[in-house]
Amino acid sequence: MMLALLLQGAVTLTAVASPAGPWRAVLELAGGALPFRLHIDPVGNGWRGELCNGGRCEPFSSVRMKGDSVLLEIADYDATLTALVRADSLLGYYHNVGSNGPRTIPFRAARGAWPVTAASNRLVGRWDATYFQEGETSPRVFELRNAPTGFEGSMISSTADYGPFAGTVTADSFAIGLFDGSFVYLLTGKLQGDTLRGIFHAGLRTQTPWTAVRSTGAPHLRSPTEITSGDTTEPLRYAFPDLQGRIVRNDHARLKGKVVLLDIFGSWCPTCHQATPELMRLYRRYHPRGLEVVGLAFEATGDTAVDARQVRRYRDKFGIPFLLLLAGTNDTESLAAALPQLRNLSAFPTAVFLGRDGRVRRVHAGFHGLAAGPQHARRVREFEREIERLLAEKRER
Amino acid sequence: MERAGYLAWLKEAANSPLFALAQRPVGAGLRLGPPDADIPLDGIREHRLTVDGAMVVIEGPTEKQQGSRNRSFQLGNYTVYLSSTPSGPVVTVFGQPAGKQPPGYYPYDPSLVFIGPMLPPERPGKVRVLGADGLEIDATEAGSVLVPLGGQTRLRVLRIPLGGGEESELEIFFRDGSNGDGSYPAGRFVSLIPAGDRKFRLDFNLARNPFCAYSSVYACPLPWRGNVLSTPVRAGERYAGGGLEAPPVNQETK
Repeated sequence: MMLALLLQGAVTLTAVASPAGPWRAVLELAGGALPFRLHIDPVGNGWRGELCNGGRCEPFSSVRMKGDSVLLEIADYDATLTALVRADSLLGYYHNVGSNGPRTIPFRAARGAWPVTAASNRLVGRWDATYFQEGETSPRVFELRNAPTGFEGSMISSTADYGPFAGTVTADSFAIGLFDGSFVYLLTGKLQGDTLRGIFHAGLRTQTPWTAVRSTGAPHLRSPTEITSGDTTEPLRYAFPDLQGRIVRNDHARLKGKVVLLDIFGSWCPTCHQATPELMRLYRRYHPRGLEVVGLAFEATGDTAVDARQVRRYRDKFGIPFLLLLAGTNDTESLAAALPQLRNLSAFPTAVFLGRDGRVRRVHAGFHGLAAGPQHARRVREFEREIERLLAEKRER
Repeated sequence: MERAGYLAWLKEAANSPLFALAQRPVGAGLRLGPPDADIPLDGIREHRLTVDGAMVVIEGPTEKQQGSRNRSFQLGNYTVYLSSTPSGPVVTVFGQPAGKQPPGYYPYDPSLVFIGPMLPPERPGKVRVLGADGLEIDATEAGSVLVPLGGQTRLRVLRIPLGGGEESELEIFFRDGSNGDGSYPAGRFVSLIPAGDRKFRLDFNLARNPFCAYSSVYACPLPWRGNVLSTPVRAGERYAGGGLEAPPVNQETK
């Protein structure tokens, strides 16, 4: 009888746990846990979900069950979260692929929401930070604040703000993260006297120590027009395939005699996702007066089929009306080889303003999105002024 | 998971080094296809591959493909990858992913996991080395770690940049007493993992082969100065034969 019961137990099917609900999730980086939120809902016969950093949420491109696992796809970045679903937990990994192998980071989640924590005035505010790596330093600015969803921060470099980091604060220590499917960033810090000290974690293993002091208001970051420079003596030459494989050169009939804004971007680059709506606004406003925007995509894998698919997704996501060309992969050698007339080209995105004669007039490394507040508004005004000035130049006869 | 994911990539990816058939610098141009070509490819008529600035042109008897560098091109059943290096473009040709299996790993050995500080570099600065894929890369001297194997052995650590964003890896390319006797003769790579409190974790169970272990088409990185463990490290990725012979022991990176 007992044997029969045991056998019966061994063949009884068990219910698959539901992934529905809010989840407090982390990526397990080598130096700490990067916090973020998930929310999964049933819809029809399937599922939908979103990935949230603080108050900012982005929908997954697909959510599906495979056996007892849930697959959350982030198509923009060709990335997937895969996790075994238990009654009260998700356990799995984040995965995407580059040209030299997979990028895999352990992932786990528990049901429920992160506690909302608030920082004291000693932490909140603007901080001038310095990163240290192998004897070299580089500047950043942190803006730390209390938001309705909890403690948040922005990390601004000379070329980008990385969007809202969110997490928790305990007394004088904090850990805030940003995970959007591509950027995997965690900022941990502790106030010691008047100085903040901590580690910036990028990806699974990169760890960069930093210190920060209260911002005095004096400029701490480099100007984005100082970082990359260009040969201004002759037209900028380039020739890349469009998404149909047709080669488009700088002297293409559509571009001849026009003011051209070259957008050096990658579909893998979240800051580029922030910049693209602004470029589309500029295109709509100034195209009738002679502005062309050309997006030069530097992609992740080097596999033409994969990279073209990602750029098509990018185009379709925003409804981009301007030219998009496949220019190379996102490494410094590829950038230098593709556009040898530009020097120190390293930031994504970078905007290159070309006059009607095709020569470089201004190079603006990086983009500061809405999270950067006044810096964003200032950059937008600078872009508009530059385009107005170039459009006013007379055509060469 | 890290080992399983890497093995899956080796088995399945279109650009897995297991399926590489040829790798050559492009130079002034290459002929692909016929038996006497720079890169012979069965069933492919003569094609000429040239690079002009950022543009790659592959021209055959009936068709012409053009595209930017660091991209793949299809040539019959072959996939042609162009990579940029500081010394110029390099082409790698891959065949159909079938028939080859990665060598797998030694059983996990917890006694070959170490934790400790990283010492500052003896000679700070940039250094040009070959990456695991046999291509040149500009790395940064990050320091060294002392490992309690064969006495105290100092292993040099380089920071290798990863594409885009702010990521990089701390890597050690080392040789040990198991090389040629179960592990790859030319040595293996292992990542140094930050463990907090200014300490780092060195897990030899994650040691992996340079791509030249899978296919002789890849250049093998020369051993890094001093990174030799006299005792065998029977952990991490094994060697299944093939690939390149080990380079001479007395050669070092400059």
